[in-house]
Amino acid sequence: MDNKLNSIIDKALSRRTFLAGAGSVAAATVVAGCGGSNTVPYVPPTPVQFTDADILNFALNLEYLEAQFYLYAATGSGLSAADTGGSGGGYTEGTVTLGNAAQVPDLTSQQQDIINEIAYEEQEHVRFLRKALGSAAVPMPDIDLSFFGPLAAAAGVSGGTAFNPFSTFNYFLVGAFIFEDVGVTAYQGAAPLISAAGVASGYLTAAAGILAVEAYHAAYIRTAITAGAIASTANVPYLTAANQVAALRAMLTVGNSGAPGTSTQNTGAPDSSQSVETPLALPTSLTSLSSIVACDPVHALAFARDVNQVHHVVYGSPTVGVAKGGFFPNGTNSIFATTTA
Amino acid sequence: MANLETEILDDIIVKSRRKMLALSGTALAGLVLARATPAQAASYTDADILNFALNLEYLEANFYYLSAFGCTIDAPNSAAIAAGAPSGGIPINAAGSVGTPGTVSGGSKVPFTTIPVASYANETAIEEGKHVLFLQSALGSAAVAQPAINLGTAWETLAAAAKIPGGSSFSPYVNDQTFLVGAYVFEDVGVTAYHGAASLLTSSGNLSAAAGILSVEAYHAGLIRTTITALDPTNSGIGSYTDLISTLRATLSLAASPTTLTGAAANPYDSNPDDYGLATFTTPSGLGDGASATATRIVDADPVNAIAFARTTTQVLNIVTGGGAIKNNAIVSPATGVFFPNGLNAGPNGFK
Repeated sequence: MDNKLNSIIDKALSRRTFLAGAGSVAAATVVAGCGGSNTVPYVPPTPVQFTDADILNFALNLEYLEAQFYLYAATGSGLSAADTGGSGGGYTEGTVTLGNAAQVPDLTSQQQDIINEIAYEEQEHVRFLRKALGSAAVPMPDIDLSFFGPLAAAAGVSGGTAFNPFSTFNYFLVGAFIFEDVGVTAYQGAAPLISAAGVASGYLTAAAGILAVEAYHAAYIRTAITAGAIASTANVPYLTAANQVAALRAMLTVGNSGAPGTSTQNTGAPDSSQSVETPLALPTSLTSLSSIVACDPVHALAFARDVNQVHHVVYGSPTVGVAKGGFFPNGTNSIFATTTA
Repeated sequence: MANLETEILDDIIVKSRRKMLALSGTALAGLVLARATPAQAASYTDADILNFALNLEYLEANFYYLSAFGCTIDAPNSAAIAAGAPSGGIPINAAGSVGTPGTVSGGSKVPFTTIPVASYANETAIEEGKHVLFLQSALGSAAVAQPAINLGTAWETLAAAAKIPGGSSFSPYVNDQTFLVGAYVFEDVGVTAYHGAASLLTSSGNLSAAAGILSVEAYHAGLIRTTITALDPTNSGIGSYTDLISTLRATLSLAASPTTLTGAAANPYDSNPDDYGLATFTTPSGLGDGASATATRIVDADPVNAIAFARTTTQVLNIVTGGGAIKNNAIVSPATGVFFPNGLNAGPNGFK
């Protein structure tokens, strides 16, 4: 590799540091410091030099969470111990707080097969990322599956803290809804951060392929909730609950509008004028439009969340500087664990 | 300012990506994954890749507009406009656009009888139309015009090739179920096309946009697959057609894969087969510490790693032209046939 290329990549890396450490704080500083930027160069408050492994490990934390949720719903048990250990990044392996976690009862065989499919695919994502990362793979962090109740209560879902995604198939769909669109936006936000070397070595293609699978899952969940509500008014409360969750996620996506469905553009970057959520519609006639796809209403491109925004959602906290909470009671095993914007 | 600086550095990253792709070996040797092998010549640009996508979006958007509203994208009727189509239509020959604009043959409004399927068609039509507009806008005067598109007899050719019962007279415009089969033909292909293109794009802005469309295509594909699975849980009717269609797509894709054509290693997500219909499957490994389980196939992905498939432009061309891109184990360009009777519109180094 010649020196010129090294220099180019160093510059590229410095940009990535800027993006990781800055966010809206950087934007505010740039606006305020417009006149004097030559004499007072912007310095990120907490420089974070991240690697492709850090990006993949960030994704791995989310996959641990999703895999545990779906595996418990499908089988009543979680990931095999062989898929959760390791010492990458110096982290130690955590445990799962089960709450109500159990196999969802009274499933039809098709419902069971569908939960099996998603559980299996999330498990394989865990395995794939761990294999790709090798000894750098972080172990599973502490995961709290009892957070569904508090999250539902915060969203205003009927029943509040008693909300239990493992109680029926319909409640399972709402629980799954909490995760799936977030997974899509997280990969969408992370993919462009992968380095040139990572692109050449296949990381981007892998991430894009997982992104697609998360979108298939999200479509399944959104279609099932929508079709259920069209078929019977008795199922409309589940659609309402999903939209309350979407509104909460929008509020937790710090840096974006709190109002779902109001996006005017998609730049892949935080923008206070856009939301990152599309609420589910309830079509009532042959000329109605459904709202299965979560995407911006102008260009029909899927939304992106940055690493901070994803952490705000899974921690259930919009507060900047928070390092743990929600589904991750001791934080993610990630250099992005503490929100910086 | 940060934005300008970001743009400039984006450009640098991009150029370095291309250089890295050209480098061999040692720097990459320690990385775990196999190196992706782009099959295309090196002279293409991001515009060529986006224009390739634009051709596919013209096809999809017209299919859904015709099915949902009974009109093409450039001539919206009142139903289309009421659903959110631009009242002036979507241009098929924007000022300065590349190539000869073609017309759409065949296609008619589906007499939908169920609200779910009708509302999905309406939503998808509007979203695919927005993709056409977005790509035209991103490409500016480099955007290609709409090619000639066959959405009539092409279905009969394709359905017969897939061995769908009664395929030689198949029309997707008959009812809700036939429409879903037609939509099934497109959506997973869109996913693999954007997936294959993602690592070829050099601008990170273009990459973000392509990833955003990739996701939306996967949402559409998931929607279609979920709905067919729900309507045919025993996989004995339209569900079984999806298996036939996926087998045909996998065959056409394999004939155009880098491995078949040159013996070169394909990227890890270009496997054989690279397409699965809706028949349930047994998971290759167990769930957690438990045994293997029966699972639906809502996701069209590699069954071991659960990563969506990726296809090269040649593979995608061979599918959408019904085998027109490969003759006697060699690439034919321009590829013509089935949905694209005169081939795609492309710039001098573009994909067609």
